Amino acid sequence: MDLLAQVLINGVLLGGLYAVMALGLALVWGVLNIVNLAHGAFIMLGAYLAWHLYTYFGIDPFLGLPLTAIVMFCLGYAVQRGLLNLIVRAPMFNTLLITFGLEVVLTYLAQLAFSADFRTINPPYAGNSIALGPLVVPLARLMAFGVAVVLTVGMWLFLLHTKLGRAIRATAQNLVAARLYGVEPRHLYAMTFGIGIGLAGAAGCLYGTVSQINPYIGATLTAKCFAISIIGGLDNPLGVLVGGLVLGIIESLTVLYIGATFGDVASFGVLVLVLIVRPSGLLGKTA
Amino acid sequence: MSAVLEIGHVTRRFAGLVAVNDVSFTLGQDEILGVIGPNGAGKTTLVNLISGTLMPSAGDIFFKGDKITGLSAFRRARLGIGRTFQIMRPFPGLSVLDNVAVGALFGHGAGESDLAKAREKARVQLDFVGLGRFATQRADELGGPNRKRLELAKALAMQPRVLLCDEVMAGLNLVEIEEVIEVLKKIRERGISILVIEHVIKAIKSLSDRLLVLHHGDKIADGPPDAVLSNSEVIEAYLGRRRS
Amino acid sequence: MTAFRVVLVVVLAVVLAVLPLFGSDVLIQFGINALLLAVLAQGWNIIGGYTGYPSFGNSVFYGLGSYGVAIAMVQWNLPFAVGMIFGVVLAVGFAFLLGIPVLRLKGHYFAIATLALAQVMSAIVSNISLAGQNIGLVLPPLNNDRLFYELSLGLLVLSTLTVFWLTRSRFGFGLIAIRENEEGAAVMGVNTTLYKVLAFALSGIFTALAGGIHAYWITFLDPESAFDISLNVKMIIMAVFGGPGTVFGPILGALVLSAVSEVLSSEATNVAGLFFGIVVVAAVVLMPRGVADVIRQFRVSGWRYFIENLKAHRI
Repeated sequence: MDLLAQVLINGVLLGGLYAVMALGLALVWGVLNIVNLAHGAFIMLGAYLAWHLYTYFGIDPFLGLPLTAIVMFCLGYAVQRGLLNLIVRAPMFNTLLITFGLEVVLTYLAQLAFSADFRTINPPYAGNSIALGPLVVPLARLMAFGVAVVLTVGMWLFLLHTKLGRAIRATAQNLVAARLYGVEPRHLYAMTFGIGIGLAGAAGCLYGTVSQINPYIGATLTAKCFAISIIGGLDNPLGVLVGGLVLGIIESLTVLYIGATFGDVASFGVLVLVLIVRPSGLLGKTA
Repeated sequence: MSAVLEIGHVTRRFAGLVAVNDVSFTLGQDEILGVIGPNGAGKTTLVNLISGTLMPSAGDIFFKGDKITGLSAFRRARLGIGRTFQIMRPFPGLSVLDNVAVGALFGHGAGESDLAKAREKARVQLDFVGLGRFATQRADELGGPNRKRLELAKALAMQPRVLLCDEVMAGLNLVEIEEVIEVLKKIRERGISILVIEHVIKAIKSLSDRLLVLHHGDKIADGPPDAVLSNSEVIEAYLGRRRS
Repeated sequence: MTAFRVVLVVVLAVVLAVLPLFGSDVLIQFGINALLLAVLAQGWNIIGGYTGYPSFGNSVFYGLGSYGVAIAMVQWNLPFAVGMIFGVVLAVGFAFLLGIPVLRLKGHYFAIATLALAQVMSAIVSNISLAGQNIGLVLPPLNNDRLFYELSLGLLVLSTLTVFWLTRSRFGFGLIAIRENEEGAAVMGVNTTLYKVLAFALSGIFTALAGGIHAYWITFLDPESAFDISLNVKMIIMAVFGGPGTVFGPILGALVLSAVSEVLSSEATNVAGLFFGIVVVAAVVLMPRGVADVIRQFRVSGWRYFIENLKAHRI
């Protein structure tokens, strides 16, 4: 029983991290109709950035997270404004291809700059845990989970209550109408993508504290974020949170009861089931 | 005159909204039935239900006496139900001729299997609607009124027994509307029964044998055009209640 | 097709067929790889290019074909040809069983579902003992590169003839109609579900056969390499770069990109990867309909072709 509870806690903590990883992807996909296959690569870049801030400037990853996010935001803005805006009105499949190309380029550049070694961000408190009765809650994971929830709820509030957030939602629903209300699409698209990448950067920062990073983690992370976004639905950040938690828990349970190699099978299996039964996601609206 | 199409107490609900509510009527052989009603009345939904794009929540649909309620769209097409779309749906990458050829290849009775023969049949239909000289152009290069004609040609190439027209006159000027009316009358002469959804009341009055009026999903009138158009309930639906 | 073009194609085919008599071993090996990739691109072309359903699951067919041959030859001692048939049976079975639910999904959802299926299949196969589990299988060696070359070329010719047949058959027209406007196709009498599944199965057959040839050629396979997703991405890029929905586009894309990749690989190992990425990005922006379309339209519009594409798609 204790083992089950421990696994569930691990799953929940993992789920929170998953959610913030997928948040940027879901936002960009839901609003801009851009399926960003390079999303995982941006998470990877964020992780490396946080690692450098910590290793060379001694900035604690959790404190340095805003800085990482802002730098990544700028990068995302530039990429959208300079490149992706060029294919926004092309068939959606083209966004798949172009972001795939981007992923290849980013991975290569990262490998060139950072070499292929594994790294982690290890602040001194990283090894500590909190004891909840017989259960062990690793401190770093708990903090990552906390930040993840804050970011997700923050995103939800942002989209609902701020002027920019509402402009983004309006553009997602009807570009022409939004334009008539004074929205400048090139800037807005770039802002949205920038936010998406900023979130990826923040997620990378958190990821680096709980797991190892190397230039090649991008592809697997992207695949996971897809699963989470679809399971949770693209309309709502809270849906992504649910999707992340569902996936985190399912994965942890699968690893416990079926075997370590089946973790991925479980995630993708759930993804296929959700797509077949309810393509708009668990929290999405029905057609 | 036996009924080619019979709609029996058909209802269609969408998560809380009743788009079509217990509607019944028939379409007779060689008849032109006009369907009118304010926006949102459920006219396009009705056509979707007949063509098989949507399934009814309740009720049955009969075609030449046989129940077709559960049949998928492509089977109904092969039985002889053709339709045009209000928001036009050409096959953009194909030429105008090939767009119509698809109808000849797959229409009534599963159509033609030989591509060359299908293209010949397509050419006949293109000439009939007056698009002959556009045969080799890409379908998405056509202008608005010509797209409407293309929609008609595609449906006709299927050799249907029933043609469902969804706002074929929208956006046309008076001359073009007259042309469409003539084409539809000629189609009727070929033995095809037609159901026409329209907003242009004057045009549909001169074209239809009978008028059907929908309002908020309900059928509120069904009869000869003059009688229907002077029906107070119909007038109220369009213009609102008289303030006295 | 004009007479000139027919002659050109036949001449090219003959040249390719006699290449092994004059080429070095390295060239023949490159040839086998490039030809098999061209088959994969052509196979993808059927479901992705003509039917409009971008499949990320063709790597499953490839894996099934590879394992079909491997299991038949290693575990049951059957000849290669029987193994190929077994692989095809597996592929067609998969296409019908899983194709039906998955083909109901639109566009990118279909892409993602097939991607997920590919991951699942890979993990499942690595747990089946008949397939050698994680370790994989080793096939009986056959040291005859020329034979494999001619087999690959033959398969490419067969797949291309099939695609050509699509462009002039009722079935192919139905597929194109589905791609251009599925609902419109349905109301005109196209049995969209059946046609999609058939296209998926046809695509799977060629992909599986390619997998089978490849497995026997390199005499070794394991789940990770057999169901490799990057292979699926490669075949898509080659088909799309060359020109999806055309008869020769995928072949062009596969041969050109393979050649470039090969040349770069000898210079510096990973620059090939970087180059690939940049080419893909540039191609999507400037020539979204592939090289085949560039060739066709360049005579008409010249350099303005690229500017037109840009203007049409950006905001």
